[in-house]
Amino acid sequence: MTTTFLPCGVYHENYIQDHAWWQTKFIKGKMLLLFFLLFILIPLLADTYILSICNQIGYTILGAIGVQLLIGYCGQLTLGHAAFVAVGAYTSTLLILEFPWPAILLNLGLAYPISIFIAGLMAGLWSVLFGLPSARVKGFYLILTSMAAQFIIVDFIITQYVSQIGGRGQAFSLPPGTIKLGPWLIDSDLKVYYLMILLCIICIVGVANIMRSRVGRAWVAIRDNDISAEVMGINVIKYKLLAFFYAGFIGGIAGSFWISNLAAISPEHFPWSWSLWLVGVILIGGVGSIHGTIFGALFMVLVMESLQLMVLPLADIYPKLLMDFLFIKEAAFGLAICMFLIFEPNGLAYRWWQTKNYFNLWPFSY
Amino acid sequence: MAAADKIRDGEILLEMKDVHMLFGKVIALAGVNLEIRKGEIHSVIGPNGAGKTVMMNIINGLYRPQQGEIFYKEKKINFLKPYERSKLGLARTFQKVEVFGGMTVLDNIRLGRHIHYKSGIFSGSWYFGKTAREENKHRAFIEEEIIDLLEIEQIRNKPVGMLPYGLQKRVELGRALALEPELLILDEPLAGLNLEEVEDMARFILDINEEKRWQVTCLLVEHDMGVVMDLSHRVFVLNFGNMIIDGTPKEVQNNPEVIKAYLGEDDLYSTRK
Repeated sequence: MTTTFLPCGVYHENYIQDHAWWQTKFIKGKMLLLFFLLFILIPLLADTYILSICNQIGYTILGAIGVQLLIGYCGQLTLGHAAFVAVGAYTSTLLILEFPWPAILLNLGLAYPISIFIAGLMAGLWSVLFGLPSARVKGFYLILTSMAAQFIIVDFIITQYVSQIGGRGQAFSLPPGTIKLGPWLIDSDLKVYYLMILLCIICIVGVANIMRSRVGRAWVAIRDNDISAEVMGINVIKYKLLAFFYAGFIGGIAGSFWISNLAAISPEHFPWSWSLWLVGVILIGGVGSIHGTIFGALFMVLVMESLQLMVLPLADIYPKLLMDFLFIKEAAFGLAICMFLIFEPNGLAYRWWQTKNYFNLWPFSY
Repeated sequence: MAAADKIRDGEILLEMKDVHMLFGKVIALAGVNLEIRKGEIHSVIGPNGAGKTVMMNIINGLYRPQQGEIFYKEKKINFLKPYERSKLGLARTFQKVEVFGGMTVLDNIRLGRHIHYKSGIFSGSWYFGKTAREENKHRAFIEEEIIDLLEIEQIRNKPVGMLPYGLQKRVELGRALALEPELLILDEPLAGLNLEEVEDMARFILDINEEKRWQVTCLLVEHDMGVVMDLSHRVFVLNFGNMIIDGTPKEVQNNPEVIKAYLGEDDLYSTRK
């Protein structure tokens, strides 16, 4: 919500310029470079390993945007987002495997794109259902009601009933060739990467735009002061539920995307700790900032991966490390959050903002 | 006092009839009757704990009275929620500033215009076209009518939480004005301000009441007797849930009961003049 200072000598002449995302030529150039990097440089240079890490980052971003929207923008604490990701993943999988698609849609490769959308809607509706208590409770109490989503949706409905559909028992496997986006068959890390970039951009642009329009402002108002928000004409309950829907929708898209990367999906892919992880991502990245979501996801995935790279050579000397790696990972996660809360409670996004302003105000930056 | 007489005969904007409000066994309001006419500045005064803020909360719907009726433009609004009442043209500021601290001044004022915006989640996510045009249209209104009036140009992009108290009060007034209200409830707009800020704020209240562009009816709760007596067309005195008098400033100043309950000895009051 804080605005960046413009460099000396740059000024706007109308409101459209002032309300634009990319306000100077320099920023436009920078963003073009970023797109060049994302769409051309990374696919060209990266090997399968790096691409798979990128996909993981993208999945984390998609999951965390919803959490950012709920916690960072609307002030509704949630610890059950993994459940809605699971709803999205399962809806999409079931639609692809069980739904009698007309041949024409299958041939056009529209089954998966449509299932992504429906998965989003389903996850959004489930999210609204578990958002209903927010009409009455706030803060810590809401955490508990949102945690119920995990236990009811994943541990009960999905594990006990949904997994039994088709008599497969535990996991659904997606045969090769089922996930098709238009004419492209999503069968390699590179194609998953492109799908990820596409979905990330759509979701980020959507959230960024809504945050500078009427609905987004109402969410922030509810976060900051719900009583005066209501007095200013905002139907608080309606907007809270809208926030839950939007967050759930993006969570559903995240789950639906992730099945393209997984050969088989089972309830273990959506543990409760994933919700906690997503909250950690936005705490590290910066609460209430879209940049923060991206930085947090980058930080979490990259730090964990480099930790893994560090542990592997050491395992030759001390083999037990390999066995203990899961615990090391979780300890590192806890430590990272502690350090950020103490030393940089505003997250990485704040540092980014400071750096930008430093250069914009140079040589008078102090 | 021709203007005041004209207002006195004008149409009734808000009417409270025999309103009772009880919290358990505490009687906050015991049968209050209030008539606010279009175009006036109607002040409510009374000692601390008299029930002034309760009265404001009842008018804009945060509390529901157990007994009595509230009419706004001859329509009964007892059962309307606060956000529904704001759509009728009721806005308020709070005693303790209740701004949206994390939002910029501009966003706070934009939020005040919430009921005038149209975009929803789909058009908002897409943004281009309709929503962008709408944002620009309202931005022009905000800049030209409100930011210019309240003289807060240089802070428009600052987060409100970081501003000093006096400016926060001003932003809150701006936010309420952005709703383009017909009745504006000002709950102690001058509390905690220094002399210069009090003068500015009093000027703003007079401006929005008298200027052709606004002509907002104001319901003012205030402790600063000098300002209340100078600005108000009528003064309503409340004492622990009971109305003492509802009259012109002169009548109120001379009423022995008011002096006993609230204004106190003459010399005490004159220091605030």
